[in-house]
Amino acid sequence: MTLTLRSLTRVALEEDAQSFASSLTRDVRTAYAGQGRVGARNFSALRLLFSEGQAPVLLMIDKEGRPLLGNLMRWPAGLHEGWNVVVLARTGSDQADTIGVLVTRLPSGERLLAGQALENDQRLSGIVDRATGTTLIFALPLALFAAFAAVRIINARVDDINATAKAVSEGRLSHRVSLDGSGDTFDRLAITLNAMLDRIETLISELRVVTDGLAHDLRSPLTRLKVRLDRAETEQNPTARSTAIALANEEADRLLAMLTTALQISRAEAGIGQDHFEPFNLSTLTQDLAELYAPLIEDRGFELKTDISPDVAVRAHRELMVQGIGNLIDNALKYGASPIQLMAGQTATHAWVEVRDRGVGIPATQRAEALRRFGRLDPSRTGFGAGLGLSLVQAVARLHGGTIELGDAKPGLIIRLSIPL
Amino acid sequence: MTQKILLVEDDATTADFIVKGLHEQGLAVDHAKTGRDGLFHAIDGSYDAIILDRMLPGMDGMAVLGAIRAAGIATPIVILSARSAVEDRVAGLTAGSDDYLTKPFAFAELLARLRLLMRRASAGPANAVETALTCKDLDMDLLSRKVKRNGRLLDLQPREFRLLEYLIRHKEQVVTRTMLLEGVWDYHFDPGTNVIDVHVSRLRKKIDAEGESPLIHPVRGAGYRLGARE
Repeated sequence: MTLTLRSLTRVALEEDAQSFASSLTRDVRTAYAGQGRVGARNFSALRLLFSEGQAPVLLMIDKEGRPLLGNLMRWPAGLHEGWNVVVLARTGSDQADTIGVLVTRLPSGERLLAGQALENDQRLSGIVDRATGTTLIFALPLALFAAFAAVRIINARVDDINATAKAVSEGRLSHRVSLDGSGDTFDRLAITLNAMLDRIETLISELRVVTDGLAHDLRSPLTRLKVRLDRAETEQNPTARSTAIALANEEADRLLAMLTTALQISRAEAGIGQDHFEPFNLSTLTQDLAELYAPLIEDRGFELKTDISPDVAVRAHRELMVQGIGNLIDNALKYGASPIQLMAGQTATHAWVEVRDRGVGIPATQRAEALRRFGRLDPSRTGFGAGLGLSLVQAVARLHGGTIELGDAKPGLIIRLSIPL
Repeated sequence: MTQKILLVEDDATTADFIVKGLHEQGLAVDHAKTGRDGLFHAIDGSYDAIILDRMLPGMDGMAVLGAIRAAGIATPIVILSARSAVEDRVAGLTAGSDDYLTKPFAFAELLARLRLLMRRASAGPANAVETALTCKDLDMDLLSRKVKRNGRLLDLQPREFRLLEYLIRHKEQVVTRTMLLEGVWDYHFDPGTNVIDVHVSRLRKKIDAEGESPLIHPVRGAGYRLGARE
């Protein structure tokens, strides 16, 4: 099969070469007849240049054998008039070319050979090009039909995705893209989309829970604020009136702090802020916080002890870490008892900050609840994360891919915030 | 000469509140209600400070900020924004504003910061080579880190020293708790706590000896001021 193909190709190539040789010969001879040697030479140069893709071979010699034009150095031996197929060794290379040339003699005695290299890549690609052209003409309608059919199938799958997206955007969160079980590209796409929709559904339902809870928890402080403002309005005594307004203002401030924290929590939960991590020294940060809180802690009659390992380097959201640790210290002040211990260190994989106190602690059974919403929103508390307690620290931990652990200080509470190094 | 402020704010209630407050302080105010209008005012007039709301109809606050700075106008600008995340604040400051206040804010806070910016702008290039700061009978030597009141050497912790330094550098000006938290501790949020108050009260106890007139005065609803009694 292969042999036949090769010999068929060779035959095709040779026939091809012969007609090429004939037309080249004719053209050069015409140029010579019309413009003499100079004209023929110029013509040949141009022609050789333009037919490069066809690997042309051309040589004209005079009666003495001197080359007059062409791209061969010397007249090959063993040529006779008419069609010749010879193997030419190329000067300076070990590659041999097989050429097919037509040899003719001009009236004035010059000899001309014109033809082309056979079994040459360039020639082959020329032939292939022509063959491809022919095939395309037949293949085009087929391709169009296939494309048309493919588009119909794709449209159907895309329509399904569209319909799901539309349903989801209208609030019907449980819709998913259907798979046809073939495991093809569309199925893989469907799987990815469905995973994304799962995540969105979870986030939204979590958000609903948070906003429901938050809306509920806002009622008490808002009511208190309203009460104070009502009193301020009816108060006749100017001093009592300004006191009432000042108290109302404080209540409003607490509410704002609470909302800000709630916002921070939801941002952290949503992963916002991850691209604002920076490298810093956690030990220094913790030490600074200890120093910030020290006077307040002392004023409350507590003792503060620190045990901070030096140079714990982390890559984290600096401000959220400050707020988180501040939150922990604040909690200890509000709910714990002296002494308060502030510690920081690192393991092989994590950096951690720990706050311990000697209060009543949190029983193991209530720890999960405490992390969700520490002791209901109590706006009478001041400090970082007023009212939302450990929720913020939890969210900060999660943003960093870390954890919050509650433990028993026997007696008292241990809270450890760990983030990966 | 009366100082002139440009306020670019679309919310009528907020604008009213600010304009009234500034007038009471003896400041002249021009009020623009849109970004485009604000930009025209800023480029035309010469203001001592600009208060720019971030959320504006049409041309938004950040775009106005960019345009003002691109026009080479160096007037101090305070941004007002409901967006309180640290990333937003950083973005605002990087874009060319001089300060960033989150809404809602106390007017005293806005005023204190405005005055600070205007004083800084009119004072010219910062004198970074000062080695000593004084206020009345209080002397701070920044090189030896020694503080004396009436010749009496005070024993201050490093943080107390920095706190006093900040107050003295802003002497006779109202300094808010958040300004102190930013300037002395580099923390950028309102703790809502009296953490700062405790630090200041400790400092006051150290610098005001028996019989000496107090140097650090609490300013109701605002913060503190170091200087002469008013």
